[in-house]
Amino acid sequence: MGTLITTVTESIRYRGRSGQYTWLAHRLAGLGILAFLVIHVWDTANASFAPNVYAWTIEVFKTPFFGLGEIAVFGAVLFHSFNGLRITLLDYKPTWWHQQKRSVTIVWVLFLIVFVPLGLYLLLGIVDSCQHPPVWEWAGQTATGASCFSFPPTSLYGIGS
Amino acid sequence: MATTISNTDSRTIRNVRVKANFERTAFMFMRSSGIILVILAVGHVMLQLIFNNVHYLSVEFVAEQWSSWGWKVYDMALLVFALTHGINGFRNVLEDYIHNRGAMKVINILLVIFLVVSIVWAGYAIASADPAAMDAAALGQ
Repeated sequence: MGTLITTVTESIRYRGRSGQYTWLAHRLAGLGILAFLVIHVWDTANASFAPNVYAWTIEVFKTPFFGLGEIAVFGAVLFHSFNGLRITLLDYKPTWWHQQKRSVTIVWVLFLIVFVPLGLYLLLGIVDSCQHPPVWEWAGQTATGASCFSFPPTSLYGIGS
Repeated sequence: MATTISNTDSRTIRNVRVKANFERTAFMFMRSSGIILVILAVGHVMLQLIFNNVHYLSVEFVAEQWSSWGWKVYDMALLVFALTHGINGFRNVLEDYIHNRGAMKVINILLVIFLVVSIVWAGYAIASADPAAMDAAALGQ
């Protein structure tokens, strides 16, 4: 636990400037993507093995808090990709290392140009989904939720019955 | 280990040829799979989040995609590259903070088992997906 706290505080305190913060962001984005990916892979396998369970989970994932998480993962994928290309390019071209500070700036600017408008578009999608209470449909049955934050009833999907 | 040294203006560049070993292969894999994933993973998020509205995602939508061999191959390639790249990245992070060799060996074995089981489980789900059965379940037929 002590090591973990030291690692976190020193990662922020160490004054490596943009290169250090980009290294940290690359790591955190990677770990975040992996956490999402593992859930996503096992959940999506259910579309084939247990369609009713998959149908219920994707309705849960359409609620606003998961939607915000999805925007974060979307941003993480974009940043990790742009910065990963920078790392690969500089590993291949060591003579360009003196441009490393500029390359970091380029990555952040490109990331923001792509992520800000698309992230706002996804955010509007969440706002839009909250205009009407959700209606869930499965196997010829329907159910309605109180608000966009409501989870669908598991009984509609024949889970646990 | 063959080493060549060349001077470009004030900088000295050493080109070192490292013999093939696991860490070198893993290092090269992170770069090559990374380039592949820029196309596969960024393509996947752009397609599923931006061009297809997530709020329309349904069992029928997945059934339609998995009725095409092209999308099955795309999803399987994404599965293999993304999970392997991610688990190896996770191993790299852990090795920076866990210095106990025995503990790290156990963690590595567990990570490999988890990677193989995940790929086999999800790969089998994609390969054996029956779009007609998925649609029938959604419609209650």
